[in-house]
Parts: sequence; C-alpha cells; structure tokens
Amino acid sequence: MITEQGRVLELLLSGCFVCQVSDEEAWRFLKTAGNGDKIESQLNVLNRTLASAADGEVFFAAYQSLYDNERKQLGSQFQDITSHLMPLVEWLILVQQANGSDVPVSQGTALRLNELQTIIEDTPAFAEQIEKISRNRLFGSTSTQLDGQLKQVFKRLTELGYLLRPNAEKQIYIATGKIEYLYDVLKFIDETEALSLTAQAEQAVQQGSLL
Amino acid sequence: MNQHLQQAGITLLNALSRHADLIMQVYIAGVLDEAKHNPKTIEKLCHLGILWRPEADTQLRLKSAVRNLLEGSLHDERNRQLDANIASALASFKSLSVHYKEALHHGRYAESEAHLADLTEHVYALTESLANNVRVLFSRINNEFGYVSSIDAKIRENELAQSQVSDLLKQLEMLRFDELSEQAGSHRELRHLLVVTLQQCFAKVIQELSIVQARLLELIGRFRQFKGRTQLLKGFLLHMEHKPDFSPSNYAQLSQVPMLFNQAAALIKPAAVDVHRLEHEAELQQLVGAIKAFSRNQIRQQPERAAQKIKVEQQSDAQFAEDKLRQAVEAYFCQVIDSGERITALQYFQQQALDFDPEVWIYQVVGGYQGLSQEEQSYFALDTSGENHPQYSGNYIIRDVELGLR
Repeated sequence: MITEQGRVLELLLSGCFVCQVSDEEAWRFLKTAGNGDKIESQLNVLNRTLASAADGEVFFAAYQSLYDNERKQLGSQFQDITSHLMPLVEWLILVQQANGSDVPVSQGTALRLNELQTIIEDTPAFAEQIEKISRNRLFGSTSTQLDGQLKQVFKRLTELGYLLRPNAEKQIYIATGKIEYLYDVLKFIDETEALSLTAQAEQAVQQGSLL
Repeated sequence: MNQHLQQAGITLLNALSRHADLIMQVYIAGVLDEAKHNPKTIEKLCHLGILWRPEADTQLRLKSAVRNLLEGSLHDERNRQLDANIASALASFKSLSVHYKEALHHGRYAESEAHLADLTEHVYALTESLANNVRVLFSRINNEFGYVSSIDAKIRENELAQSQVSDLLKQLEMLRFDELSEQAGSHRELRHLLVVTLQQCFAKVIQELSIVQARLLELIGRFRQFKGRTQLLKGFLLHMEHKPDFSPSNYAQLSQVPMLFNQAAALIKPAAVDVHRLEHEAELQQLVGAIKAFSRNQIRQQPERAAQKIKVEQQSDAQFAEDKLRQAVEAYFCQVIDSGERITALQYFQQQALDFDPEVWIYQVVGGYQGLSQEEQSYFALDTSGENHPQYSGNYIIRDVELGLR
C-alpha cells in the first residue's frame, strides 16, 4: 500500500498543483505542520523543493537549484505562461460578466456550462468574444458552432488543470487553485513591471470606458 | 374605556385581514396604485392609520408601524433599519421603577401592579428589539448582501452594517448595571427585571455582535479581494489593448528566479510490470486475459491465415554430412558378409585408405552395429580390443573393434 506521503510525493513529482479542490486530502496533508518538512527532504533528493502560491492555497514542486537544463525548462515554461495569460484573462472576464454576479472566478467557483451557454448564446457580444477566445492557440478550436467552441475551451482548461469536472456525466466545472496561481502571476507581473493595472482599470471606469 | 379600546383593536385587525391582499401589494411595491382599488376601502385604511400619504401629491404608503410588523414577522432581509433607542428606554425604566416604589411606599398595591406590568412590557420590548436587530444583521451577512448585485454596492452595504454595529455597541454601553441595581434596590421583581433579564440579554447580544463584527470584517476583506481581482483582470486587458506588444521580461533568466515561475517538470512515469511478483498474479492474469480477447479480434482480419491449398510433393531425400561415413561403414559390413572373414575396423580402415579420423570411424562402426535391428545384430559379432584405464577402475578404453559373422 502506498502511504499518504508517497501519494502526495507522486502528485508533486508528476507536476500537479495540489489544492483544496483538486485533492483535499493531499492538501490537508501538506498543510499539517511537519509533513511539509518530510516531503521537502524527499524532494530535495531529486533537486526539487516544495513551493506554494496564493497564501498556501496551492502547492507544487519547484527546482531547488538551477542549472542550464533547469533554466531551459523554466524559460520555455515562462513563454507558455505569458502566452496563455491573455486568453485566460479574457475568458475569466467573460465568465464573470456572463455570470452577472460581479464576482471573479476563484478557487471553488462552480461553473455550470449549460447556464453559461444559454447566457452567451443570448448575448451576441459574449458569443463574439467566446469565438475569439476559442480561436486562440491555447484552446485551438476550429468549430464554427458556439457549443463546440465553449466545450473545447472548457476541455482545454480542464486538461491544463484550471478546472475540475467532478462528475463526468454533468457539465459542471469547479475552478481549482491553479486559478489562484494565475492571479498571483498577474499580480507579480503587475508589481514587477510597475503596470499599476488596478489604477488603470479604475481610471477607465471613471472615464466611462465601455468595460 | 377598556371595552372601547378592545373594539377599536378588533376593527383594525379585521381591516388588516380583510384587505390583506392590498396591504401585501403595497408592502412589496412600496406604494399603492390607487386606480386599482376601491376609493372607499382606501379611505377606510387611511382612517385606520394603515396607509398614509407623506405629502399631498405623493402616492399612498404603508405606515411604518405596519411595515415594521410585517418585516419583523416575515424575517424580510430588506429591513435594514436598526434602532434601539436604549437611552430613552432606560429613562422610562427609571421613571417607572420610581413610580412603582412610590406606589408601594404609600401602600397603593393595585397601582404598583400596573406600574410593574408596564415596566415588564418595556424591558421585554427592549430585549426583543435588541435580539431582532442582531437577527437582521445576521440574515444580511448570511446571504452576503444578496439583495444588491454589484461588489461596490456590497461593500457599501457592509460599511453601513459595520456602522450600525458600532452604533449598537455604543448604545449598549449606556446600560449601567450598577445604576440599575441601585434603582431596583431590594425589590425582588424590580431586581429580576432590571438586572437579571437585562444582563442576560446584554451578554447574549454583545457576544453575537462580536461575531457579527468579525464576519463583517471577513466579508469586506473578501469583497475587496474580489474587487481587486476584477480590477486586475480588467486592467490587464486594458493594458494589452494599449500596448499589444507588451510581454514581461523573462523572469526565468534572473539569477534568483521567483518561486512563482519555478515550476519543476513532471518527473514520474508509470512503473513497469514485474512478472515475478506473486501477489500481482491475479491482476496480471486479468490483464493477459484482456489481451487475448483483444488479439483474437485482430487475427480475424489476417488474410494470410485464411485456408489455402497445400501442394503435396515428394520430398527429396535429406542429405546428411556423415553420409560418406555411413556408406563406408555399410561397405565394411558388406565386406565382412561377403568374405565371411573377421576383420578389425582399423585394418579395414588402412586397407581402404579411408580419410576419416580413426576415432570417428570406430565410433561410427560401433554406432552402425548398434543401429542395426535386433535380428540383424544377431548375424554379427562385435569384439572390442583395448585396455582398462591405468588410473580409474571401471573405465575401458577401446582401441579397436573386430567384426565377424556369428
């Protein structure tokens, strides 16, 4: 039998983001004081270290020390992250607007595909937006039907670990902690590049921009 | 007097029940659509103090007393009004308790009873209104200000609720139990009302308010986070619109890569099968069983395995390498038969000047003899000449064999 520690180690080493939604037991295990150190020492053997994002909501494995190979890997990963940012942000805003609740998608948010589809179908602006998003290389939809586009987007997001589909028979998706990670990345870029995104948004609202 | 009061009350309540539809419509809509209802009814309701007209040219509204009654009984979340006028309540407690004590002092017991009942009513009204206020706050928190949709509105609602909580706390500070207990003096009933009841209520309300305050702070934190995130997303979108070629500098090249962008590659691949593990036998067998079923499907599609005609031909005799050796042995046997003389194998070997290895030749002769059938063997006699092994007993070294007819 594999121990809980072994299971968590396997999850981390296979590149998973461990959060409360994706694997609550593993997440609790890592949250418990002392367990993190045990995992850490085992990860160190493989030049990895336990990293967390979004105030300890998400755990993942990071490299302990960086050599040329690791840097190459991280470089290509970074390219992926930055190229994914724009379509993901567009999708997040679309979902938030379609939900009409003014609440951003965050860990644990349940998204009902059928409801979302009805709203998007009824609103030409949303339909246009989802078509644009689904054409992006990240989602790579070639469908001309809104139904296909939306499903492809959700399928890709599930593959990438941003969403979880607890029941394969139902079109209900739950946002995982990786979404929180995404916000962290945005915040980091905002701060590092001194973009002052929040101020920009506020200014736009004051100027009555059509956001 | 009493009779009259009762009569009036019953008339009022009857009017409420008879025009329940109308009243509920006004309660939900806020104002009365006068065109839809009988002017007589409306006039009657105005007369009874259920409806009123705030200003001459405005529509009719429900009196706040009726509205409060409905909000309180229906636990309606739209009720955001909190008022606990503790200062005036305390003042009335004070005067009533003085009335009571004075009446007792002068021996007017009936009057003192009336004062005590009045005081009880006031105390319970205060405790009820406090509990009600807390309940209203909780119901608003529990559905996270669901009656307004935008986050900004929720934040404003939250701020309103927070100011109401601090108001309520400030008012509760006015309850001074030392003064109250002084007022109550040694009168048991007064003490029970003014000290015990109020204190219990006070403790409960204070405790609940502290929970309310914590929840409100937590909620406003969440709302602010939501707002921050929305602004972050929209700001990013705006920024990308203004500068479509923006891309952040590559943080992976920094000497200290931020943890956020340091994500190790997946390392683990599925393990392979170990067929020597006995405890996996059942699972492996099942897997193998599945493979069988799978490959049978494929076999059906193989055309080369379909039935074909087979040509049966005479097979050419197989040629053996030791053919010559065998023929020589046969010739040797034939010569023995023809001549009828005994001849050793090596003699024959030298006569015929055969070019095999002598040892191989002797082996073949022995083998040839053994290879004959029992009947044929009986025609020949095979003698071996040789010696025992000099060192190991039981080992006989054959130097030559002699073949003759029996």
